[in-house]
Amino acid sequence: MAQTYRKQQLSLLLASCTGAFLSTAAFAGQEIQQGAATQGTAAPTPAVSQDMLSGADGDSNNFLHTNGNYAQTRFYPAKQINTDNVSKMHVAWIFQTDVKESLETTPIVVDGVMYVTTSFSHVYALNAKTGEMYWHYKHKMGPITTFCCGPNNRGVAIADDKVFLATLDAKLVALDAKTGSLLWEAQVGDPELGYSETMAPTVVNGKVLIGTNGGEYGIRGFVKAFDAKTGKLAWQFDTIPENSVGVWATHDATGRDMLRDIKAEKAALAKLGDPYKTLGGGVWQNPAVDLKSNRIFFVVGNPSPDLDGSIRPGDNLYTDSLVSLDLDSGKYACHFQYIAHDVWDLDAVSPPILVDVKDKDGKVVPGVIHGGKTGHIYVHNRNDCSLIRFSDAMVPQENMWVLPTKEGARMLPGANGGVEWSPMTVNPDLGFAYAINLHQPMTYHVESTPYPGGKLWLGGAFKVIPSEKQAGNVTAVDYNTGKIAWQVDTPQPMIGGIMATAGGLVFTGEGNGWFRAYNAKDGKVLWSFQAGAGVNAPPASYSIDGKQYVVVAAGGNVQLDYKRGNNIIAFTTD
Amino acid sequence: MPPLNIPRLSIMLMTLVAAFVQASAAQAEAIEEKAAICSTCHGEKGVPIDKVTPIIWGQMEGYIYLQLRDFKSGARANDLMQAVVADLTKDDLKALAAYFAAKPWPDLQQPSASKDVAAAALALNTSVGCTGCHLGDYQGDSTVPRLAGQQHEYMDKTINEFRDRTRANNPGMSDLMIASPPDGLKAMSAYLAGLQILGSTGHGSR
Ligand code: HEC
Ligand code: HEC
Repeated sequence: MAQTYRKQQLSLLLASCTGAFLSTAAFAGQEIQQGAATQGTAAPTPAVSQDMLSGADGDSNNFLHTNGNYAQTRFYPAKQINTDNVSKMHVAWIFQTDVKESLETTPIVVDGVMYVTTSFSHVYALNAKTGEMYWHYKHKMGPITTFCCGPNNRGVAIADDKVFLATLDAKLVALDAKTGSLLWEAQVGDPELGYSETMAPTVVNGKVLIGTNGGEYGIRGFVKAFDAKTGKLAWQFDTIPENSVGVWATHDATGRDMLRDIKAEKAALAKLGDPYKTLGGGVWQNPAVDLKSNRIFFVVGNPSPDLDGSIRPGDNLYTDSLVSLDLDSGKYACHFQYIAHDVWDLDAVSPPILVDVKDKDGKVVPGVIHGGKTGHIYVHNRNDCSLIRFSDAMVPQENMWVLPTKEGARMLPGANGGVEWSPMTVNPDLGFAYAINLHQPMTYHVESTPYPGGKLWLGGAFKVIPSEKQAGNVTAVDYNTGKIAWQVDTPQPMIGGIMATAGGLVFTGEGNGWFRAYNAKDGKVLWSFQAGAGVNAPPASYSIDGKQYVVVAAGGNVQLDYKRGNNIIAFTTD
Repeated sequence: MPPLNIPRLSIMLMTLVAAFVQASAAQAEAIEEKAAICSTCHGEKGVPIDKVTPIIWGQMEGYIYLQLRDFKSGARANDLMQAVVADLTKDDLKALAAYFAAKPWPDLQQPSASKDVAAAALALNTSVGCTGCHLGDYQGDSTVPRLAGQQHEYMDKTINEFRDRTRANNPGMSDLMIASPPDGLKAMSAYLAGLQILGSTGHGSR
């Protein structure tokens, strides 16, 4: 015992001695050091105040949040690039990352410095005007990571002079925005039990908010708040309450019968007890923050195992739900469940947007909207989470809700949606929400196996039907009526994200490499660029020296197997 | 704070280094010794001694560790491997995983699949999305194994054992295998066996 203790001490001491040598070496060379930043040039030090973060919706220089602002509208206020001149938009610069794998990052821009991330949780700080690199942080990845759908990362959050990153091995790290060096690190969940991180954190009032992946591994989901200065846990909300049974809902949010066998479920409940400990319910997209009511709104993912409901009786609260919490305490405020006891993985993923909406009587109320994998946009009252309306279906629906079988039952939409994780955007002047959709005919197969202790736990399989045509679309929905305003078909299922601007434009990319600007009013394509790899990341925009830029990552997509690349591409007009 | 005595410090450092090198050499020896047993079946140069023994050189660290853990707990049943890991500690398993993951993946010179076989494999991937987890060119990552260039017969065997749940340590993989048509899986293992491609995607510099 004493022996090993001494050995450890020695090696610790030694590590700190050699550490000093190593860091000099790192500055001299361009080698990538594990868990450290490389490249000597420090970035200008940012000072991102809470006022700046709160006022991001009116800031046409920076892009401070993954979804643009706390309301997550992705509506960018600059209009220098607009319907008249977008046809002249051209490449300003291209930055190539070291990692050629799915890019899902939203670039964050502060005072001319851009922060982007790649698969496997790398971070780069770039000069947003020239594309030159300041520093590169490569996370020292633990040996065990469990993720279902690619080693993705969706970006950083920023506050004061710190950059926050959540990593594949379920850590939250704070970096010095100037140098990329590690300030603190907190373990968010245990990767051996299926927890991992791909989302960008959200920072507000000195707290870093983070959820978790793991709905395919039998985790118990949560949202956690960490102190931005110290990395200490401030509060935790379990997305699966100890009583997860609910009200035995028989119909979904749109009034369709889900064909539940409530009698069998009640018998299973008596036999097995409440399944809350391994019920899934990941949260892997950013919460919206309502600064007025001091509440956050997020959506909770599927129950575990995905397709086998027989061993998880009840409504499986709060899976497949919109949930609202008090920001300071993490205490429950309200929820709305779209699909109780989901056995199709048609869960809630795309980040909710806060926007004023008309209620059923035509009165304008604070609303919150969410684009579902079902293909509906759901419009809620922010006060009590209640549903005001749901939109026309944006994709074909057939056989809903046929139950999965051993041989496979065909149902549309397929398990990826409708709207996958891709964030939506709104143009509040037009009253439109914009969503990108998938159409992937699938069969749903069920197989029953007990909890495998942190291993993949699907309870069956989703299979794309190879003989059937797949497609996608870009859809504008009038959220005050629920009617589709316009829809443009795309040759492939869409995944990534979308951004609207005050210039009357909507930007989104496709798996085949096309990145396009649409007229926000009618969906007319006004500009296109071929990126050479799948454009499956949400676009962003910013301005430097009075010049507006649009930026997007082109790295393809693991899940849909779209051509991989490693480019961050910035565009501008002259 | 007293002024630093540079010569004394460097002597101290040298003793420290010496002690450390000895200690870690002992550790490395221990691992080498343990790993030597593995080589009797998994091969001196990483080329396994028979067709149903998998390559473990260059396999993913997280995956190797989880398999050893599962053999130890019995979640994955195999008489040979269960006997091998019975007396090893969790730290041993982790050290062995790191040790073998750092070795180069051997080239077994298995033939490339014909066009038709490759097309059938591609069709299966379109349907089930194998590369969604096994990543581009089936290179794997962390707890998801590399499949490119793995032993052909071993893959057929383990796929069948996933299908009939004899290999019970990953029911999710079993579900996917059960949902896949057997001839598609046969084509897939032939295709994977002939695939090498090192580090063409992912990871960046690793
Ligand atoms: C007596 C022969 C033998 C010895 C010795 C042996 N193995 Fe194995 N090993 C096998 C066989 C055979 C399998 C395939 C088991 C199966 O089919 O499920 C296997 C499977 C494995 C696997 C799973 C690989 C995969 O792709 O799933 C790992 C990891 C492994 N062995 C590591 C080791 C290590 C580490 C050692 C030494 C500590 C070792 N083995 C010693 C025969 C052996
Ligand atoms: C959802 C993620 C996922 C998908 C999709 C997936 N796999 Fe796997 N696969 C895994 C994981 C994780 C393991 C490791 C299993 C374990 O923990 O023992 C694995 C193991 C395997 C193994 C065993 C390798 C070995 O060395 O023993 C084979 C073979 C395999 N997968 C083939 C496939 C094929 C073929 C497909 C598509 C038809 C596929 N996988 C789809 C995650 C996946």
